[in-house]
Amino acid sequence: MHSERHEELVSLAALGLPLEDDAAEYARLLEEGCPSCEALLPELRLAASSLAATVPPRRPPASLRDELLASLSPAKRPSAASRPSASAAWVFAAAAAVLFVMIALDDARLRRQREELRAHNSDLAAAVESSRSEIARRDLRARVLESDDVRVLFLGGKGPQPNARAKVFWSERVRRGFLVAGNLAPLPADRQYQLWVFVDGKPVDTGVFDPDPSGRALFESKELAANRTAQNFAVTIEPRGGLPQPSGPIVLAGTPSG
Amino acid sequence: MKPRGQPEDRDRSDRTLVAEIQGRDSDALALLYDRHAPRLLGVADRILGKTGEAEEVVQEVFLYAWRAASSFDPFRGSVLAWLIVATRSRALDRLRARRPATSAQPGGPDALARVAARDDVEAGSASREWEAICRAAIGGLPDDQQRALELAYFDGLTHSEIAERTRAPLGTVKTRIRLGLMKLREHLRPYWGKTNA
Repeated sequence: MHSERHEELVSLAALGLPLEDDAAEYARLLEEGCPSCEALLPELRLAASSLAATVPPRRPPASLRDELLASLSPAKRPSAASRPSASAAWVFAAAAAVLFVMIALDDARLRRQREELRAHNSDLAAAVESSRSEIARRDLRARVLESDDVRVLFLGGKGPQPNARAKVFWSERVRRGFLVAGNLAPLPADRQYQLWVFVDGKPVDTGVFDPDPSGRALFESKELAANRTAQNFAVTIEPRGGLPQPSGPIVLAGTPSG
Repeated sequence: MKPRGQPEDRDRSDRTLVAEIQGRDSDALALLYDRHAPRLLGVADRILGKTGEAEEVVQEVFLYAWRAASSFDPFRGSVLAWLIVATRSRALDRLRARRPATSAQPGGPDALARVAARDDVEAGSASREWEAICRAAIGGLPDDQQRALELAYFDGLTHSEIAERTRAPLGTVKTRIRLGLMKLREHLRPYWGKTNA
């Protein structure tokens, strides 16, 4: 709420005249903040302007109007401004063409970026999947090796690959194992090595694998059904994807160690 | 340029004309001039006397409207009020230029107040109704308050100059100005927004 002194200062300011000795106090008032004074100022300006309504009007001489209108810049006349010139139209057309090309180029650039991002995303997804698979394989190997009942079985080369060698690490509790092999011969593209586990004298499929170019392989078996004990292991050469029962030559075979 | 006073011109409001002036429509400026130049010249006459200077001020104001139409804020008052403020401010500048230098310093709050008064929009109206209301409000003031306000508004005198001119104490002049403006405010307030204020 403002005081009479505040009203007085605002009244003097509303008249738009020098405040003289009151200037410093008015400045402090504004600086310290007086919302009601700030609201009062425009209202008192409105009140002061009512004085203008009391003076008699006077019609200016016609020459004043003519001089005023003649002094306006011809370039800013509406007739000039409202009709674009032919050159201006060409400028607009050229600008539009340039804009269109820029948009088209930008669109092509964005399409390329999108395809690159898609490919990159696909690569990343594959890398993630590969990593997950590798982690799962390492986890399986760790579980087998850390199992109390882990067994190591040695497989010797047979038939066409007498120099082949392998070890199978197997856990009945985990019901899975993994094979580490070396000196395996490369196979035709339509062939794969298949690992068999013998249960009750019968071969059971535990998966197919491919050696690396140096003839080595590290392969984790499928899970064996419950209550079935692995007695022996063998590796045969089978059509790619494997078969339910062995049909090809045996290249590795062994006897459980214990 | 259109001839003056075509019937459809009456339907174009002042604010429409200002918008058209922003679009560099000189016909709109001519129409605004025809409507308000007499009132503005009356204000300039009151401050400067019926001289060529008053006419020059009116010409300056309409050139200002042409160049700076975008400075008009419709939320702060009428177009006529905007033009009256510009007229009074320019006329007072010329009036002060005629006088010996005063103690007023450039800059500071008083200067800021002058700038604000020049740029802001005060109330006012060309309507006869509004003029009658204003005359009644001013006529209802005590003579000393009315005189103090007229000396400040039209003659551009500061309160100390008014005190000297009227041979009244400075504090009394300030009180007269305060009471006069506050009474005008109370009297006119009910009409703000209802008339062309």
